[in-house]
Amino acid sequence: MRSPLLLLLMLTASLVQAQSLSQSDVKNLLARIRERRASVPDVHANFQEQKTIHLLNKPIVSSGKIWFHAPNEFRREISGNSPSITVSNGRDLWIYYPNFKSAEHYTLGKRSPVDAVIAAINTALNLENVENTFQISGTKVSNGYELQLLPRSPSMKRMFQRFDLRLNTELTAERTDMVQSNGDQIITTYSNQTRAPIPESTFEFTPPAGTETTNPLGR
Amino acid sequence: MRMSELIARVMANRRSVAWLGVIAIAIVCVVVLITRIEIDSDVINMLPKGFQSVEGLKIFDRDFEQTRELTFALRCQPQDVDRLEEFAPQFAENLRKQPWCERVLAGSPMETPEGIRDLQTIAVPLLLNLDPAAFDQTISILQPQRIRERLHRLRQEIEAGSPRPQFELGLDPLGVIGPALKPFAEANAIEQEQPLTSPDRTMRIFLVVTNQPSLSAFECQRLMRQVNAFRSQARVGWDGGHLDVLATGRSAYVSEISLSMRHDVVATLGSSVLLVGLVFFIGFRRWIPLFGMGFALLLSCLVALAAGLLIFGRLSMVAVGFCAILVGLGVDFAILIFGRYQQARIDGEEYQQAIATSVAKLGRAVFFGALTTAVGFLALVLSGSMGFSQLGVLIAIGIFFAGVFMCTILFLFVKPGQVPQQHDWVFEVVKKYVRWSVERPTPVLIFSGTLFVVLSVVGFSPVPPLRFEASVRSLEPRNSRASQALQAIMQEMPTRWEPVLAIVRARDAQELHDNWQKISAHWSELQRAGKLKGFSTPGALCLSPDWMEKNRESLDKVDFQAARQTLEQTLDAEGFSRDSFSSAFRLIDDLQAVARPGAPLPDWRKQLPNGAGWWFLVDRYFAKDPFLTAGFATTNEPVNSHAQSDELGRELPVVGVPIILSGWSYALADLQPWSRHQLLIISALMAIFDVSLLAILYRDFRLWLIQVMTLAFGIGAMIATMKLLNLNLNLLNVLSFRLVLAIGVDYGIYVVLVWQKTRELEHDVAGVIKPVILAGLTAVSGFGSLAWAHNPSLNGLGIACAIGIFWSLLATIFFTLPAMAAAKPKIWNETPPSHPI
Repeated sequence: MRSPLLLLLMLTASLVQAQSLSQSDVKNLLARIRERRASVPDVHANFQEQKTIHLLNKPIVSSGKIWFHAPNEFRREISGNSPSITVSNGRDLWIYYPNFKSAEHYTLGKRSPVDAVIAAINTALNLENVENTFQISGTKVSNGYELQLLPRSPSMKRMFQRFDLRLNTELTAERTDMVQSNGDQIITTYSNQTRAPIPESTFEFTPPAGTETTNPLGR
Repeated sequence: MRMSELIARVMANRRSVAWLGVIAIAIVCVVVLITRIEIDSDVINMLPKGFQSVEGLKIFDRDFEQTRELTFALRCQPQDVDRLEEFAPQFAENLRKQPWCERVLAGSPMETPEGIRDLQTIAVPLLLNLDPAAFDQTISILQPQRIRERLHRLRQEIEAGSPRPQFELGLDPLGVIGPALKPFAEANAIEQEQPLTSPDRTMRIFLVVTNQPSLSAFECQRLMRQVNAFRSQARVGWDGGHLDVLATGRSAYVSEISLSMRHDVVATLGSSVLLVGLVFFIGFRRWIPLFGMGFALLLSCLVALAAGLLIFGRLSMVAVGFCAILVGLGVDFAILIFGRYQQARIDGEEYQQAIATSVAKLGRAVFFGALTTAVGFLALVLSGSMGFSQLGVLIAIGIFFAGVFMCTILFLFVKPGQVPQQHDWVFEVVKKYVRWSVERPTPVLIFSGTLFVVLSVVGFSPVPPLRFEASVRSLEPRNSRASQALQAIMQEMPTRWEPVLAIVRARDAQELHDNWQKISAHWSELQRAGKLKGFSTPGALCLSPDWMEKNRESLDKVDFQAARQTLEQTLDAEGFSRDSFSSAFRLIDDLQAVARPGAPLPDWRKQLPNGAGWWFLVDRYFAKDPFLTAGFATTNEPVNSHAQSDELGRELPVVGVPIILSGWSYALADLQPWSRHQLLIISALMAIFDVSLLAILYRDFRLWLIQVMTLAFGIGAMIATMKLLNLNLNLLNVLSFRLVLAIGVDYGIYVVLVWQKTRELEHDVAGVIKPVILAGLTAVSGFGSLAWAHNPSLNGLGIACAIGIFWSLLATIFFTLPAMAAAKPKIWNETPPSHPI
């Protein structure tokens, strides 16, 4: 008899803690986020990522740092055994692999598959224009908010099945859970976020001498 | 008995026999018309023969599958781009359900799992078709150590966050498909520049191959009726703002052109008959002779049409415009003959005698008039264009019969007891002008001479230029929905210009392969040298039996069992999912099967699924005959000039490889010298014929000079008008100059011959000026009626001729007459009663 009672108590507690947001609440929340982003467009954070893809039997876990400048510039450095540096200035995307001394160059905005990478980062760290591209519902939890984003526009549907986002009380992203259209899942958690200005040079990339550069999508 | 007397006797006394003859002719013509009629609506047949570029267009049009392709476009408002993206798959699905639809391409096949799977199915033949050196290098990837290294690296790249390994493993898990498809991907590069979505996403393109059995006009009309019914229902499910559903393609054009031909015949012939009839009635105010004239002209048209069908088998769409022209020209004879008949009746002659007089007096003028006009139109045969050749022959035949019928059948509609017209205000006005210009020619001469000199200076001077339009659009029908749809698509997708088409035919697969290898190598050099922007060829898809056999022998050295085991072990070691690599195991099996001695060589044609989007690409390269192929070379700039086409003609071919260069832009640029030749040389030949004929006819240098100046003034004023009205020359309306020379000279002949012989100016000169004015106006009406035609060739030709004939008429009235009066003065000696014609 004790177990059902305990379960009921836990359920009640969680209902009290997780309070659904109305559409106007969601709108207000997004407006507040926009205000904060407008005043402080730069974000620097540590991240940990767990990637489950259909090609692999087990998830891949990686960690590193990310720098972001609204609306669409970012730099992501993965550390560990397979390090990489990903840099985008909003027009081009570079991925550099120090172990292989090779780099890949992608041009953005041409319906290329790498647009999903940008969309995911923008959605998580910027939340710019998300009302137009996602149907958003949310709940207020004890230490922030949880937003469930379902893609609305065809371009987003092509990339994502769903996108869940947890914000802390400072309205910065703590965790994202993204399921891509092919079923692959990426869970990212952010920590140690700071909003100090980031030099513009952070978002520029020139391959080091001796780097083999490729354009995988031919553009 | 003289011919004129015989005609007069038959018309006066054997009317029933004459009617029976007319009915017999009409029946024979109608039977020929019903049993033989076949219309050629292909605009390519308007272009001249004897040019490889034109032949290439015909081959591509006739033998390649793309002629059955329709292009659909959905165009939405900018705020609806997301809705359009969602609606597009639904629209494509509806298209696929249509009974006339065989295949639909709604997006790049590379972007769909099916497209990638289809590509994988043809990997083995394309792999075997690689250059043996490249094949050996590619197949070395199947060595166990290489398999391990590759998968380990890809695993590391995935960990590092690269999206590339996922694309690569999705398409090519074993690593041999990529190199096998490389030549194909290079050939496909040109297609990447032709996206199916506009940059602003407001337009989506859908390519559809139809299952219509033929491209005949009736089949195309039937198809387009179904297509238009689909278009009217195609917006079901669309919840956005205004959405255009556009359709274009060969069938759409053929359907519209063939339907517009009916309009062109009715509109041009109807307006021509109406205008010509109006002018005739104003001139003579008689209904029954007017009806007779119309009957004789229509019978002439019928005879010419029947004769044309018997001679040519089938008639071009342009040839059907001959009726309007024939009405405008043939009425001249009616005006002259009936006018002279009336004059004879007023002079007191009996019915039979009046007929004999009119035929005797004007038979010569009608003969020479018909001769110059017929020669002018027969000269269209020299154009080399089947359409215009037919037009010329039909009018020449028609004009001959019009002359015959006006001297005979017309009188069946003239009653013997009919009272001649007593008061003719037209004649009075004309007579006053003739008297004034004969008695005081200088003022008229100064005014008209100045006007014509100024116009001729404007016309013949290089500034302002008479623009020459060599674009495809100058040949497209006006107000064509297919043309408007194409223009809308081109506006939204201005990615590049039309490439030059290279057609290569071979006797067997090996020759075809070798030819394209040589061409690709040569074009690569041209591209490196900056002479070409890019190119795409079917080279990768042209299988080489020699290479494939040699490469198959190389497969003997591959240990497929070891490759399979290594793959399995490495997948497990690196943590890859075996399910995701099932196509890799399948490919190993396929290669092993091909490597067995005696196994048939694989053929991608048999392996590529019927519904695959890649067929759209294949169909651009291969005709129904698999040894007839096309490649495409994109130039650095659009091909507009003959210098460009000439240079391409030197640069693109490869020694020892028979190749036909073509494409609409290339062909039109290639035809520019032909067009100028038509304009200058053939028009000059016509002018030489005219001035020689005039010299023989007049045997008087001053009169000859006046007539030659009149012709020059007419042409000069015509060119000046075209310049001032911004009417461009195009490949086809350049033919109008010779016609204006041929018709314009007739008016001078009528007036000068009378002036030379007459002693009664008021009777004869005024009497001929009136019919000349009427004849000129009817000719202008006849050609001007072509302005109603939708067909741009007919329309342009008609307007240019109407302008030219108008100025030739004015030059004859206001320059030739006073100039003759000044050069060869004659006394105006009016003695009552003066009678009009």
